[in-house]
Amino acid sequence: MDLVAGRVWAQERRPIRHLDPVLLVVSLLLIVVGMFLVYSATHQTLAADGFDPFDRVKKQAVTAAIGVVLVLVIATFDYRFFKVYAGFVYAATLLLLAILQIPGMASATGAYIDIPGAALLQISPAEFSKIGLLLVLSAMLSELRTPQPELRDVFRVCVLALTSIGLVFVNSEIGTVIVLVAITVGILVVAGTRAKHLAALTVAALVLIFLAFQTGLIEDYQADRITAFLDRANSPEDARYNLDQSLIAIGSGGLTGRGYLTGTQTNLDYVPEQHTDFIFTVVGEEFGFFGSLAVLVLFAVLLYRAIRIAYLSKDPFGTYVAAGVASMFAIQIFINVGMTVGIMPITGIPLPFLSYGGSAMLVNCVAVGLLLNVHMRRFK
Amino acid sequence: MDKVGARLRVLALLVLLMFAALTARLWFLQVLATNEFTSQARDNSVRFVRTDAIRGRILDANGDDIVVNQKSREIRVAMDELLASGRAEEVIYNLHLLLDRPVEEITRRLESNKYLPYQPKPIAEFVDPHVEAYIDEHPRDFPGVEVVHASVRKYPQGRTAAHILGTLGLINAEELESPRFRSYGINDLVGRGGLEQTYERWLRGEKGERKYIVNADGEVLRALGSLEPVPGNDVQLAIDLDVQRIAEEELRLGMDRARTLTDSDGFTLKASAGVVVVLDPSDGGVEAMVSVPSFDPRWNVEEPTKEQRKYLDNEQLSPQLNRATQGRFYPGSAFKVVSGLSAVKAGFATLDGYYPCTTEYVHPGDESGASFGNWKPSNSTISFGQALVESCDTWFYTFGSDFYFHWLNNQLAKDGELMQKLFREWGFGQQTGIDLPLEDVGLMANADWAEQHPDVFYRGVWQPGGNILSMIGSDYFQSTPLQLARAYMAIANRGHLCRPHLADQILSPDGEVVRRISGKCDKRLPGYTEQQLAYVHQALLGVTERGTAACAFGGFPLSQIPVGGKTGTAENGSKQDTSWFASIVGPVSDPDHVIVAMVEQGGFGSQTAAPIVRRIIERIYGLEPNPLGCLTTQED
Repeated sequence: MDLVAGRVWAQERRPIRHLDPVLLVVSLLLIVVGMFLVYSATHQTLAADGFDPFDRVKKQAVTAAIGVVLVLVIATFDYRFFKVYAGFVYAATLLLLAILQIPGMASATGAYIDIPGAALLQISPAEFSKIGLLLVLSAMLSELRTPQPELRDVFRVCVLALTSIGLVFVNSEIGTVIVLVAITVGILVVAGTRAKHLAALTVAALVLIFLAFQTGLIEDYQADRITAFLDRANSPEDARYNLDQSLIAIGSGGLTGRGYLTGTQTNLDYVPEQHTDFIFTVVGEEFGFFGSLAVLVLFAVLLYRAIRIAYLSKDPFGTYVAAGVASMFAIQIFINVGMTVGIMPITGIPLPFLSYGGSAMLVNCVAVGLLLNVHMRRFK
Repeated sequence: MDKVGARLRVLALLVLLMFAALTARLWFLQVLATNEFTSQARDNSVRFVRTDAIRGRILDANGDDIVVNQKSREIRVAMDELLASGRAEEVIYNLHLLLDRPVEEITRRLESNKYLPYQPKPIAEFVDPHVEAYIDEHPRDFPGVEVVHASVRKYPQGRTAAHILGTLGLINAEELESPRFRSYGINDLVGRGGLEQTYERWLRGEKGERKYIVNADGEVLRALGSLEPVPGNDVQLAIDLDVQRIAEEELRLGMDRARTLTDSDGFTLKASAGVVVVLDPSDGGVEAMVSVPSFDPRWNVEEPTKEQRKYLDNEQLSPQLNRATQGRFYPGSAFKVVSGLSAVKAGFATLDGYYPCTTEYVHPGDESGASFGNWKPSNSTISFGQALVESCDTWFYTFGSDFYFHWLNNQLAKDGELMQKLFREWGFGQQTGIDLPLEDVGLMANADWAEQHPDVFYRGVWQPGGNILSMIGSDYFQSTPLQLARAYMAIANRGHLCRPHLADQILSPDGEVVRRISGKCDKRLPGYTEQQLAYVHQALLGVTERGTAACAFGGFPLSQIPVGGKTGTAENGSKQDTSWFASIVGPVSDPDHVIVAMVEQGGFGSQTAAPIVRRIIERIYGLEPNPLGCLTTQED
């Protein structure tokens, strides 16, 4: 009797029993595919410069391994624990962003904090700010007494969001700004914000964007990229170059692609930033339409599981967190793939799990960890 | 939560739309428009620009520069482009005006058939910067003409050591097709002859490479990764520039002096060519190697002038021939140390035995009336040592007959040709393995050789005279000066037949030793005891003290600096005698140097070669050099 009762208890209570295997497998698959793509994009150049051709892949593997551990750690604590400390996480990410503004702390490009004594370790605070904002907004909105967010709640959300966004913006990371906006909007929508409030927000955002362009807050090269996207024929060569080479790479892939490691656009380094922002061009050139579709299917499954978890969650915090993660992944996938195929402007947004980059990999793993966590504890 | 479900469905719908948009766009790019992008991908191309590595230097034992690099602006002409322009004559005329060089010279160099059709031909070196600027500014006037910034060789020591260095030349058609030069391009220089050729792979370094993306019009869009060139390694020689210069000066001086003397027929000595080799007997390092006539290596950096060309191509002078390794000469009596020791090893002679030294020698049983004479009348019975001191020829003939009989009775046995086998053990009849290309092996006649030379050996049959005269390094035996020096080195170091080597070590550009060049001295010459070799060394000391070189070394402090040596006076057909002196210098237990001097048509060994060696020794050891001038009548 005891034994049977114990088993039932285990089935019902032990969260590990309710792990989402599909989500886990899809995430791991994406990580593995990413390493193959990073190798293809970097090995020639590394070898030509006299480095180990596996250098980038090895580094990516190390962060991925840390990331997988992070997934498990994040999934272990009850996610409601994060609700309690959401404010601290948010504050910590703001602090990291602020550190970047201290002269001497930031790396040459201004986007990373160099950890002294560890040349390989660079922290990109903007990436971590996504998690901070996501948690703090979910925590705040899940504690509302009213069924829908009222105007003052929306206002509070805006203050929190704009603080993060502002600090990221001063580092010229337009791509991350867009992701933060998407996270905010996604959570607001799922939390049931009234349409009129959303409409007002949209107008405010448009005004802000207009002002940013007018006052020169948007730098020239960023504006150039947007005009290059809108009007290819009349934009400067430099701005067009990335997009042209990206389109040639993907377009020349055809139905089945040129074969792994045989893409000329990829191997000869035509596509700039290929192992980071333009990683999808490797898929397009070397694996063709079918390969691109396969990768999109993996992402679709990832998003489907995220939205499903948002739906299954038994408390609003879990729902909002899952919805925020879904929004975060969705906007990154859409803008990143969209820019490589020329339907979105070029902004520095990495493709989740596939692009080379340590901080992004860790943040993506944290996000998957949060999703798994919500899924595992949906019955409590 | 139904409301939440509805809102999530909105989110899901947005995501679905998003994927639909991406898929549609991918379908357009990769399926509908793929042909256009594929052709655009083809139009993209990468241009590789190779950057030459700096070639390594050649240094002397003290690290002083012998060969270094300098920049040269070279004009090269791609013939196919020039001819395709249809204006070849006009272009050549323009070049004539611009370069201020005769049209004939330009056309002669354009007609050179050393290069492949598509390989640009060099027509002028060290042109002024303004020439380059002018050609750059007027590309239409110079189709196919390019200015190449080449790194060429510079010889801060001038003519010193010219023969061992070798030169650089534009890779030729034959080399380009050989697998050894697989990594070379059509504009590359390669080492030709000498150390440049031997150590090509060390000196060369590795090329760098820059990649540029060019569009369909050939415009450079941007630079891709670049690989910096790796400079070549330096080659540090065993050659000591001080010793080399002393040897060069003294050889020339000695040859000049010889030309004031007369031979036994009363004709002035021609002293047409000479060699000095100085070896370190402890490891086979070549401290100096001189060959006269000589040339200036700087002539080959540019195309030599007509007069220089004529001199270089003069076959009688052959100034580019390194006679130390590429010339074969009768060593004469200087060879007797080897032939005598070989007779001892064969068991024909012993060190305590006494053998006849007569005026005439007749091969036992020969009734043809042929006899072999000694260089001076004599009738005594002497030891091996005494035979060396006096340089008695007939003493050695006896053992030549023994070797002949041995061959006669053992023609089919493996070591039937015992004499040649024993000489070969001393390194004769084969290359010494010195680090220079195209080394000569000398001449060691045997029965096969006789068969191939019926003009020399009647009906091609080996005769006793073949053995008898080989014993005194004459008629059927020739050696390079280096082979002889190597044999003396083996006596000096008591039996180690080291490989002579000019290079001592390979140094990386930052001065670290990459590789040491070994003389492979660990192997012993088989079958000779230290006592036997010491006995010969002692006999050689007697030669300078009281023998054939006593006059040449008169007044020399032999007790302070022991010098053992052997003179040689080799008859050379219708030419005047070849003068030799081979010596071992320094403490008997651990000699410092082996010095061999040879002067072609230089008269007696004691007359020309021995005084040269004496003065070289004096200057190496910082003694006051003796005025050349022992008017010896010692013939051998």
